[in-house]
Amino acid sequence: MSQPIVVMEAIVKDFPNVRAVDGGRFDLRAGEVHSLIGENGAGKSTMMKTLYGLYAPEEGRIVVRGRSFEALTPAGAISLGIGMVHQEFMLVRELTVLENIILGFEPRKSGGRIDFAEAEGRVRRFIDDYGLHIQLHKKVNAISVGEAQRVEIIKALYRGAEILILDEPTAVLTPQEASRLFEILKTLTASGKSVVFITHKLREVMALSDRVTVMRQGRHVATVDVSATSIPDLARLMVGRDVFLGVSRADGGAAGDVVLSVEDVFVPSDKELSKLRGVSFELRRGEILGLAGIDGNGQSELVEAIAGLRPVEGGRIRLGQGEIQNRSPLEVRAAGLAHIPEDRNARGLNRAMSIEENLAGMAFRRAPLSRGPLLVVGALRRFARRLIETFDIRPARPEAPAAHLSGGNAQKVVVAREVDEEAQVLLAAQPTRGVDVGSIENIRRELVRARDRGTAILLVSADLEEILSLSDRIAVMYEGQITGLLDAEGADEESLGLLMTGGALP
Amino acid sequence: MFDDLSLVFNYTLFRATLRASTPILYATLTCILTQQADILNVGVEGIMLCGAFTAVAVSYFSGSWLLALLAAVAVGTVIAAVMALAHLRYKADIFVVGMAVNMLALALTRFLLQKVLGTSGSFYDRAIVPLPRIHLALLDGNEVLRSLFNDYSLFEPLGILLVFFLSWLLYRTVWGLRLRSVGLNPLAAETAGIPVFRRKFEVMLYSGVVGGMAGAYLSLGYSRLFAENMTNGRGFMGVAAMFFGGGDPIRSWIGCLIFGFTDSIGSRLQSLGLPPQFILMIPYVATISILALAMGRKMAAQRRARSALK
Repeated sequence: MSQPIVVMEAIVKDFPNVRAVDGGRFDLRAGEVHSLIGENGAGKSTMMKTLYGLYAPEEGRIVVRGRSFEALTPAGAISLGIGMVHQEFMLVRELTVLENIILGFEPRKSGGRIDFAEAEGRVRRFIDDYGLHIQLHKKVNAISVGEAQRVEIIKALYRGAEILILDEPTAVLTPQEASRLFEILKTLTASGKSVVFITHKLREVMALSDRVTVMRQGRHVATVDVSATSIPDLARLMVGRDVFLGVSRADGGAAGDVVLSVEDVFVPSDKELSKLRGVSFELRRGEILGLAGIDGNGQSELVEAIAGLRPVEGGRIRLGQGEIQNRSPLEVRAAGLAHIPEDRNARGLNRAMSIEENLAGMAFRRAPLSRGPLLVVGALRRFARRLIETFDIRPARPEAPAAHLSGGNAQKVVVAREVDEEAQVLLAAQPTRGVDVGSIENIRRELVRARDRGTAILLVSADLEEILSLSDRIAVMYEGQITGLLDAEGADEESLGLLMTGGALP
Repeated sequence: MFDDLSLVFNYTLFRATLRASTPILYATLTCILTQQADILNVGVEGIMLCGAFTAVAVSYFSGSWLLALLAAVAVGTVIAAVMALAHLRYKADIFVVGMAVNMLALALTRFLLQKVLGTSGSFYDRAIVPLPRIHLALLDGNEVLRSLFNDYSLFEPLGILLVFFLSWLLYRTVWGLRLRSVGLNPLAAETAGIPVFRRKFEVMLYSGVVGGMAGAYLSLGYSRLFAENMTNGRGFMGVAAMFFGGGDPIRSWIGCLIFGFTDSIGSRLQSLGLPPQFILMIPYVATISILALAMGRKMAAQRRARSALK
């Protein structure tokens, strides 16, 4: 058994009001892929950001190749051969790919000038050695997500990384792009480099890694060889109990009349790939239409255009009887729309207000919660208590500030408010992103119930498993257009993955 | 009438434009340095004013323009250091800090004008030694050439050199690449091992150096006196020109030249009998127009870039 090149022991890291890591433990051997898994908020990223020197731990010890540290800095970590590909790419969008790669480690000519020729030569070597195709002279804001990720990997290698940390690298990739990434990682480990792979996708863990470390609520739970474990075992270790994510879809009756129709819609966006160019589809009463696609292919723009949050440059959107394009969000809601926004912190919640005030965000405009310009405090309290109970929101105190809600409970507040509107159409954008497993079950069940009551739901999700388990029909978006529309019966991950990358079904 | 207009528009306008744009140019360079690190230095007006006072006082007492310049630079650097400390170390809003410096500078220079130089309003004395001028005997023969190219104050050509030097620094050197990355995405810079805090502090200090030079030029090159509030919005025009050029030295310089041009035309129009109230308005109207123009262009370009109809 080879000596570990990294050992982290008894790591403790606090954030304001939260202990993110509490007794974290991790070790890494040369040439292995070591997966680090756990639910959102389990402390995986925090652990690895500590290793990369972005956070200084309160307690604990980090040993890299026999040298012991209380805390590292990014510069120190880089000089020890540690590189990290962050979940949010650390690239300067306005600079070129080449400038981004050499940043901080620029080859120089006299007078402090950058030797761009030398830089390009060095970077090309990595491109050739590992088959990582990238365009060096484009600006980062003009390349795709998959390419940006390859840029991040080359950046780490260029800085001399022997240990590569990847934080949820496949979250933004299609299945096909992910398998290409796995090939690259195998080439890397074959040449003696070590990989830390942070994820919560258990199938990837089984396919790729040599060992797994499981974290839960900031604590180290177990470190096991992949050959000696299984997906159900890992899931149990992650969650602390048995999990069933498949909510039974129990086909609701046949879908009814068309309630929302989007006709040849054009919508602007900052990103070229996210502009909508001629999107059309219909949504019927009592159905869930799943909208699949890799993040950034126009799904967010579509949702915002329907909700009145983004201008529509061409085409029509009809809800019920009237046209709603380019109307204000309140007018659109009045026409019969409810909206679970994809970013609950920016748009879903007012964190400075209480749970009940957030729950009443729509209902307060009407009786019984208000009478004329005045709020009816008793009715407000009763309203909040009912939703808190129905949706199992914790803490179950209406007056508690929303600031302290966990991700899952914060999302339940948003879902409760929107589902309770009983609108004709419900837009559910990434309704379970960053939410713990228990809350995911709860939220999915509520969506299916709303569907059964006759609401038409547009479900946008980057999670294929969610799309497949909830939708009656599935539309796939790619580069701002709908590339496929299929019945849930005939869909599987392979066919969706193909459509999501611009391929056509045979 | 056309005879009158030729009094306004003739070859001497070139010289007048360069001269009037120079104080604004130094103010702009002061802002560009910090803007590249994503710090909006609105305190440039105050730094300039303090620099201008210091330069006149030191020049008057010591009789040395070099000492005066060094003192103005030192004062500018100290003020910038205090601002950097407040903004970076103690997380104060840079806009508030900048405005505080501007207000303090206005009152402090007025106070010191009375206490140190014993006068109020403005101070002029033959003992004030100005910044040197570059005299080329070669050009003495021709009236036009002499007007266009001779007897520039040292800082006028130096300012233009600084534009190109800064441009080179920003886009060609390691220092510039790192500075721009700090401003554009501090987290990316940090993960590349670049000390973001230190780099921001550093450019604030450089900005103080240039701001001090701006003040010294204003009182010892552009004029040869100190007057209360003699910057008179030039620092803010520098900020406006920086926005006009989007933080790029060369494009911001063009903004300064437009300001200088309107300023020189304004002072000439006065001789045609236009009401002075309108003429005094010109710099401010020009500032607002330039900012509106820059903003309009930027928004139109953004709209075009965002559109899906192409």
